Amino acid sequence: MTVGYLPGAGFLHRAHPFTAMAIGGGVAVLAFLLAPPAGPLAVLALGVALAMAAGVWRVLIPAAVISGPFWVFLFAIHGLFREAPLTALGLSARMTASIVAFLLVIAVVHPGRLVEALLARGVPFAAAYLLAAAIQIVPRFQNRARAILDAQRCRGLRLRGSPLRRVRAVVALAIPLVLSALAEVDEHALALETRGVGTGKRRTILHPPVDTPLDRAIRWAVLGVLAVAVLVTYP
Amino acid sequence: MTIVFDRVSFTYPGSREPSLHGLSFHAARGQVTLLTGLLGAGCSTTVLVAAGVAPRLLGGSVEGDVTVLERNPGTAEGWRDLAGRVAVLLPTPWTQLSGMTFTVADEVAFGPANLGWDREEILDVAAVAMDQLSVTHLAQRDPATLSGGELQRVILAGLVAMRPDVYLLDEPTVELDPEAADAVYALLPTLAKTAAVLLTTTDSDRAVEVADSALYLESGQLVSAGSPCDVLGSERVVAAGAGVSVATLFRDAGARGPYPVDVAAAASRWMTA
Amino acid sequence: MTLLQFDEVRFAYGETVVLSRVGFSIAPGDVVALLGRNGVGKTTVTRLAVALAHPQRGEVIVAGETTRGRQPEDLAGRAAYLFQHPDRQLFARRTLDEVAFGPIQAERPRADALARARSALHAVGLEGHEDTHPHDLSATDRKLLALAAALAQTGDLLVLDEPTQGFDRPARDLVGARLRDHAGQGGAALVVTHDLGFVADWCDRALVLHDGRVAYDGPVPDLVRDQERVRVLGLRQPPAARVSVALRLAGQPVRHAEVSAALVPRCRDG
Repeated sequence: MTVGYLPGAGFLHRAHPFTAMAIGGGVAVLAFLLAPPAGPLAVLALGVALAMAAGVWRVLIPAAVISGPFWVFLFAIHGLFREAPLTALGLSARMTASIVAFLLVIAVVHPGRLVEALLARGVPFAAAYLLAAAIQIVPRFQNRARAILDAQRCRGLRLRGSPLRRVRAVVALAIPLVLSALAEVDEHALALETRGVGTGKRRTILHPPVDTPLDRAIRWAVLGVLAVAVLVTYP
Repeated sequence: MTIVFDRVSFTYPGSREPSLHGLSFHAARGQVTLLTGLLGAGCSTTVLVAAGVAPRLLGGSVEGDVTVLERNPGTAEGWRDLAGRVAVLLPTPWTQLSGMTFTVADEVAFGPANLGWDREEILDVAAVAMDQLSVTHLAQRDPATLSGGELQRVILAGLVAMRPDVYLLDEPTVELDPEAADAVYALLPTLAKTAAVLLTTTDSDRAVEVADSALYLESGQLVSAGSPCDVLGSERVVAAGAGVSVATLFRDAGARGPYPVDVAAAASRWMTA
Repeated sequence: MTLLQFDEVRFAYGETVVLSRVGFSIAPGDVVALLGRNGVGKTTVTRLAVALAHPQRGEVIVAGETTRGRQPEDLAGRAAYLFQHPDRQLFARRTLDEVAFGPIQAERPRADALARARSALHAVGLEGHEDTHPHDLSATDRKLLALAAALAQTGDLLVLDEPTQGFDRPARDLVGARLRDHAGQGGAALVVTHDLGFVADWCDRALVLHDGRVAYDGPVPDLVRDQERVRVLGLRQPPAARVSVALRLAGQPVRHAEVSAALVPRCRDG
């Protein structure tokens, strides 16, 4: 299970990063605008369809894992009241649709392209970098955590057993994760410096993402749909 | 002189003992200068000080004068003037990815792009650098998926593409297999045509073949300097375990120093005997 | 009994076949080098050997038991893995606890685990550093610490990924001597390395991977002497072997100690 960018050449991968983000954002907002439970369920179906069509159906796995507990929790709470299952259904669908949309966006928008797109619009390098780093932090930590888990299991670490044993296991995993990340901060800073980051020179945009009339039309369309949804929901 | 150390001492933060003691040397454009010594002798620290990382990022205290291209790399202003002119390669290539690029080709072009060169020129130098480091076939790969050996060559290609005036290389082939390591060492004299190359490595067998001069450190002090053959075949260096393999063989066999540093020299001296 | 056995092992990542049919075995007392170009599947072999991966066909057998259906933690008492970058495994606040972690996980009594840890630290030259924080050690010492942890963890199979990477000659020889000790006490080691000099000095046998198969499985000297074969397999003849060949030493030794011994008469005369 990987959270993060998934290489591919689907229509969302090829679209301008802002377009992919607009679509993802549109799905998430729409899920909260439309009336439950039918509206959010339809939006969730739309999100799932988009993920399949964009060739990144794999985002549905982490989406299910992350949102599963919400479903259980919400149904458990609302199960106490009559007529409540429908409310629970609506809320759960909203959560899940937003999670799918978020994972979809980070799966199809490579931070590098997003950065190029932002820089092409005149956003300062540092801000673009922070955004790229923030997007990548989850997959990076995941890879590192996997390597550390492998190493500790080879030393006999068992993740099951008594509570004390489990606490020890978490310590054995978390400490190298944090320490190795900290140890690398200086080296990474040097690496960026030595490659000319922070010189104050205007960076050359190598592959400015192409923003086609279709991209712009889609972004306007997303905005239009949201506007209509607002008018319909709050007449 | 491109790199000048004048009585430089350096102490890491939290440490009582200095790691470098009154170190003086210089390294010139046109030369590969080998910095050698046992682990812990201060070679890597010297690279970090020359790069200005120590003290600028790591903290610690420097005495004496460190001058690289007439600037002090340990100050923020000095480093700003040096940006793009000093390439630093550390032995941990995975910490040196920009984390902002989509393909190896873009990773290699990252440095030149930050320097604001023309797009066409950047694509040209990146292509040449990828070819020099034999990573052209990886051009469209995602850097995050590379092996350690591929990564180390890609990072070096990214530095070469910037056409720096100084290369500071700490174990540049530690992740590479023998063929790839040979190729990188063979490239160093080419890089030195337009730059000063300061190299530190425990692989003195390869380094002796390409270095123009050598500096030997013990406990943060410069003990001997001169031609690589003289330094790496000298009694003191070989006795310490820091000499090249061939010299160590002949010392262990009871020959008298100075020892031969390569097979040809050994053969010419002992073949007839 | 063998400590590690690969029977007709096939392993692929998706469509990419890494190992098509790999077979070999390692007995107590063996120190075996695993050689080959970058990307040839050496790391895959090591991961299979400690059950971090499982073969799609064939069998991996560790100390008489198949790895099928078993996890690394099940094997930890019989097989230890030294990772190429050990920073990812160090977590304790002092080195002694770091090294005692393996024996304690194996439910040895605490006193026994600590005794093993002390002796392993001593073996790698880190005595006196029992209370040091692992991250206060140098990179080389951290790697030696991880080696000590592996030595304390099992007396059987050690699987080591580039254990001497970036090491100078004394540190390299220290690692080699510890592997020989381990084998001498009935253990075995499988060492991934690019350093053919280390292999010539410290390993008895070499396995070379090439095109998804074992292209060479035999004594180290036979491989190292053969310059053409060494080149084709992407390796580099170590200086001692080149001296041995160039000076036509009797018996063509390749081990550093043997080559220098063979040179003694000439050096006395010359």
